[in-house]
Amino acid sequence: MEQSYLQLQAKLMREYYRDFSKYAKGKLPERKVAWVTAFTPVEILEALDIEYIYPESYAAVIAASGKEQGFLQESEKGGLCRDCCAYSGCYNGALSAGTAPRGLPPRPDVLIATNNQCNTLPGWWNLLAQEYEVPLIVLDYPGEYADREQAFSYVTAQHKDLIAQMEKLSGNRLEENRLETLLQNSRDSVAAWKKVVDLLPEKDIEPTVLFDGISYLITFRCKPETAEFYTAMYEYYATSPEADRERKPVFWLGYPLWYHPQRYLKELLPDFRVCGSNYITWWSLDYDGESPMEQLFTAYNYTFLNLSAKTKRARLQDCIARSGAKAAISLRNKSCKCDFVSAKYIDLPQIELEIDMIDREYLDLERAGKQLDILREIL
Amino acid sequence: MNILSLSGFIPEQICDTIRFFGYEGKQRISHYCRYASDYISQILEDPQIDGAVFPRTCDSSRIIQGLLGGYNRFLYSLPIPARRDGSAIPYLADSIRQYKIAVEHYYGIGLTDISERTKLINERNKTLRELYDHLPELSYGVYLDMIHGVLQKPLREQRVPAELPSCPYPDGPRVFVVGSTQTGSGIIRQIEAAGLHIVGDRLPESHRLSSAPDVMLEGNIFENIALSILSSMPLPSQDDFARILAKDKEELLRKQVQGVIFITQKYCEPYDYLFPAYQKMLDELGIRSLRVAVTGSQGENEMSLAIGTFADML
Repeated sequence: MEQSYLQLQAKLMREYYRDFSKYAKGKLPERKVAWVTAFTPVEILEALDIEYIYPESYAAVIAASGKEQGFLQESEKGGLCRDCCAYSGCYNGALSAGTAPRGLPPRPDVLIATNNQCNTLPGWWNLLAQEYEVPLIVLDYPGEYADREQAFSYVTAQHKDLIAQMEKLSGNRLEENRLETLLQNSRDSVAAWKKVVDLLPEKDIEPTVLFDGISYLITFRCKPETAEFYTAMYEYYATSPEADRERKPVFWLGYPLWYHPQRYLKELLPDFRVCGSNYITWWSLDYDGESPMEQLFTAYNYTFLNLSAKTKRARLQDCIARSGAKAAISLRNKSCKCDFVSAKYIDLPQIELEIDMIDREYLDLERAGKQLDILREIL
Repeated sequence: MNILSLSGFIPEQICDTIRFFGYEGKQRISHYCRYASDYISQILEDPQIDGAVFPRTCDSSRIIQGLLGGYNRFLYSLPIPARRDGSAIPYLADSIRQYKIAVEHYYGIGLTDISERTKLINERNKTLRELYDHLPELSYGVYLDMIHGVLQKPLREQRVPAELPSCPYPDGPRVFVVGSTQTGSGIIRQIEAAGLHIVGDRLPESHRLSSAPDVMLEGNIFENIALSILSSMPLPSQDDFARILAKDKEELLRKQVQGVIFITQKYCEPYDYLFPAYQKMLDELGIRSLRVAVTGSQGENEMSLAIGTFADML
């Protein structure tokens, strides 16, 4: 069973990065290419046979291979402030250097950014648009800051406009049946992933598996193989031993540390077990609605980071309660202000660590160790 | 009613607010814009303030509501569209209308003078536009101090003089100032003291304000206000660098600018992302640039030294 899910995992990843080394040597892509942010309605692009690339994910891969520092310095030399999101520093640095661990992504024909996650990404995409001189589309999602009817009308006009522009770019026509199928695939992927996430409080599972596992929901959510992969993953981990109740259950509140081999501070937590994380729920999008347009609207307008502070707080509290955590490790991520508020109003003993999800130099490991000692004393 | 407003995106046509100009408060949030954290400080600490309105245009402003979790007075986050197409105008118009309703509801008042206020704003901005057009013959420091003074008053008391008092200005190299927030007079004085002649800017309280097209009084007033906001000089938080660069390039060439001073707030990402693109454009135009990051850690002397060196280079 393990073999089955690992094979599926490897297949998906291999296909995504298959030609990056060739692109670095000048190979041209066979399809039109969009560079997209992580909460872009990719079902539309998939339906029109447009290849989509996630720069944020690639920055995480670069950090995981231990190469981020050189690229961060490279982009800084080009004028990009080190205070900016390190995903952008790392990725832009790799583009400037003309090299990266798996090669380079194909040159974009269009850039698509959304603000349903943060307002940083559209700024980064604007910078990329100046560099590549290709069309930039910014999708504006009001989230809970506009009433539903008003937001639906505003967002749907943008989705229709996106479809028209992408039809023109690709030369293909969007078939509604195809879009419906892809939305169903996304729904299936989310459902299968949720079952995997629900195992974390109960079973002896390394959170690393989930931090890496969610990448597939980001990158391939509307492909049928994703639900298949998550189902295999679930079947494998459902038979894992029960979680070690002697270890203190702790909630990981924030991003994985992409540069860390385990994506979290395992070496400092021998007596803790990570029983929950908010990050691994962010892409559990709700594709509710009768028509494809309604489903796209619900999924992408109401992403977690686009909800009001009140709703976010309630969701987070629910997530923590379901995990059974007795403490929280809250991460103050230099690169993601939108996640700052998560740490507030958590009715659990917690420590706050200053980190960056890409740039390892932001973490003071010794200080983190001392903070964890304090948490142990409190518990 | 003492609503503290952040940024020029907040429509003045609806009601008077107290424009945030700076506050030395207790709030310190790591990796977070100091300007925004000072704004939060004033909301929480200044007893005069009984409400807050801010745009949702950057990550710092986006999370203000979350950071003000326990605040139980008037709080309004105005979404500013990241687009300027046909769908953006009714959307912003409706947001402005909701803002009006929220103020009326919270304070138990009726805001019935929007047309009258609109006329006053149109007139004020027209005078500001004329002054901006004559910047090359004016002392920029005097001009900006006048604006700062005017904007701190209620609308009906705002008086923009048609002419500024005659004041000598440096006759050195012509420079253009780019800035993310209300720029302190201290920096401007240092620039002028270094002999640099400021002939234009991209500051929210100056060029953006004066660039706002008149709000038409006929038709749907909220849509007209929205149109004016979206047609004013674009800011980087509005996600259209191409438009910013095209507009500024034209002005830099027309005014034969020799140098650009780019003033940013630490952790102000919209300007941090704009900078590399802006610098690339300046390099192509053969215009030198200096970037100055405003933080608590950078003393005036250091800034003065950098500006002085830049003036020597020009």
